[in-house]
Amino acid sequence: MSAGRTLRLIGYVTWFNVRMLLVSEFFVLLTFISPLIFATLAFFLFRLGHGGSGQTLLYAALGSGMMGVWSTTLFGCGGAIAWQRWEGTLELLVNAPTRYDFILAGQTFGAVIFGFYGIVTTIVWGMVLFGMPLQATFPLVLPLSLFAAVISLGALGMLIATLFVLYRHANALGNLLEYPIWLVAGLLVPLTRLPDWIQPVSWVLAPTWGMEAIRGATLGDAPPWLAIGMCVVLAGAYYVLARVVLVYVLDKARRDASLALR
Amino acid sequence: MTGDLASLSHAPTRPGSASAEAPAIEAIDLVRIYHTHVGVIRRRPLDVEAVRGVTFDVRPGELFGLLGPNGAGKTTTIKMLITLLLPTSGSARVMGFDVVRETTEVRRRIGYVFGGDRGLYDRVSGLDNLRYFAELYGVDPRQRDRRIAALLELVGLTGREKEKVEGYSRGMRQRLHIARGLLHDPEVIFMDEPSIGLDPIGARELRQTVRSLVDAGKTVLLTTHYMFEADALCDRIAVINDGHIVASGTGSDLKSAVLNRTIVEIETFGVAPEAIDRLRRDPEVIAVNTEERDQSQILLIQSERGPEITQRLLGSLGDTRVGKVVAREPTLEDAYVHLIASTSSTDGADRAAALG
Repeated sequence: MSAGRTLRLIGYVTWFNVRMLLVSEFFVLLTFISPLIFATLAFFLFRLGHGGSGQTLLYAALGSGMMGVWSTTLFGCGGAIAWQRWEGTLELLVNAPTRYDFILAGQTFGAVIFGFYGIVTTIVWGMVLFGMPLQATFPLVLPLSLFAAVISLGALGMLIATLFVLYRHANALGNLLEYPIWLVAGLLVPLTRLPDWIQPVSWVLAPTWGMEAIRGATLGDAPPWLAIGMCVVLAGAYYVLARVVLVYVLDKARRDASLALR
Repeated sequence: MTGDLASLSHAPTRPGSASAEAPAIEAIDLVRIYHTHVGVIRRRPLDVEAVRGVTFDVRPGELFGLLGPNGAGKTTTIKMLITLLLPTSGSARVMGFDVVRETTEVRRRIGYVFGGDRGLYDRVSGLDNLRYFAELYGVDPRQRDRRIAALLELVGLTGREKEKVEGYSRGMRQRLHIARGLLHDPEVIFMDEPSIGLDPIGARELRQTVRSLVDAGKTVLLTTHYMFEADALCDRIAVINDGHIVASGTGSDLKSAVLNRTIVEIETFGVAPEAIDRLRRDPEVIAVNTEERDQSQILLIQSERGPEITQRLLGSLGDTRVGKVVAREPTLEDAYVHLIASTSSTDGADRAAALG
């Protein structure tokens, strides 16, 4: 398949998945409403602790938005697989003559991009209700930071989604991963406040560097090149790992006849 | 379903395709064992042998029927042939490509249509479903919309394609399945019980569409548990039961197995099991099958004697209340029932036999 056709395929699957998420009340609630609730709580808490400066509120808004992005990534990638298993379309996707990792990539990017709408709604919420200023120290770097965050979260989502292809009850794992990652990736509590032994775990997580890249571009003193670079490196590593795991997973699914199980 | 399928097909052969002599589908001694567990606290492994050495071949352009009751191994066989399942042993090729090792080559050449409500994205339109699968199946974007329009015409969904699939009737969903399976113009089409749940008119339209696929040069492997459907459509039929092929040939070949028999149909009311056992012990009776109706039981008794055996059979029923009695020629349905009854395990559990 040519590079052009591959990009078209991934783009089409991404767009289709965004549409599927838009018609799901659960995901609309998860992406648009729950970050607003987190943000509101965070705004009040940060006001109490820090006097509610504009920068602090923006810090909280971005963190809350990113929490929503992570939730959507987790449930959008894994949940989409579970949903397709339920609808009976998973077998058809795996059995298509197209490489399944491209399809999976499109699905996960769809979920991540959908999740990023949550950041926008959180910022608008903060501006309207809490008088939060909209600022970016490095406005030209910000799109790059967002792009880096999207690809790194998408690749991590793809890696997680491979487990959902294999195990029909993997959503239990998905639930387990939601709250701990909020903490370990420093989305609301700065990483420096966490125990030292957790730091290495944070370094291999895409949300950590994605958050760092976005906050660096909006609130930082210097452009967040390290965070952007780490997002790209992690995205590559996740993708390679996901492909290796996917070969094993698809072979095992053919052996165990697990694709049609609900 | 009114469209012309011939106009939708590309050249019938492509590089890598089977030659006219080579079979389009070839299954050699296919075996599939499912590994599962029983018990909750003390889980014990259990192996279920779903397909036990199935061998058959389908010629290019042929409509081949795999006929059998529920749980006979039809779907498992199809799933091995379309590369969704690995055989435990044996081998299979589709258009000359190995289904275990050359999966992409096989997938490019096959379409898969299954019956029932699943396999579609309900919350978007039929058109969205077809466009999505067209991308996944690598349909040329310049031809995509034209091809989808032609397929919608073929399956009779033109004008309904922008409605959400969740509002479709079962027949419409089934037709959408067929359109999806034909998007990439496959050479071989696998249809797994496509008429399941359809009303008689829908099922008849479906059969016309299947026939038109073969007229357009496609090879079709169809599974069904309706004898009349297999007989009406298929060039050749293989009857599968308990994971084995128990008979194969044309409809006439299968019927010849029971051609010299008479079928006596006796309507009874509250027939006792002992009376049925008495019939079965009769040396001139070959098989007795019962069909439960609302208030009655229909006994279908096969014998190599003519209708003159009827009085003797009625005598064996003793005091049983009897309604209508008919002696007739055997049909294909009788052949099928005979084949299944004579090859079924006496104990259903023995399929999970000593393997466990």
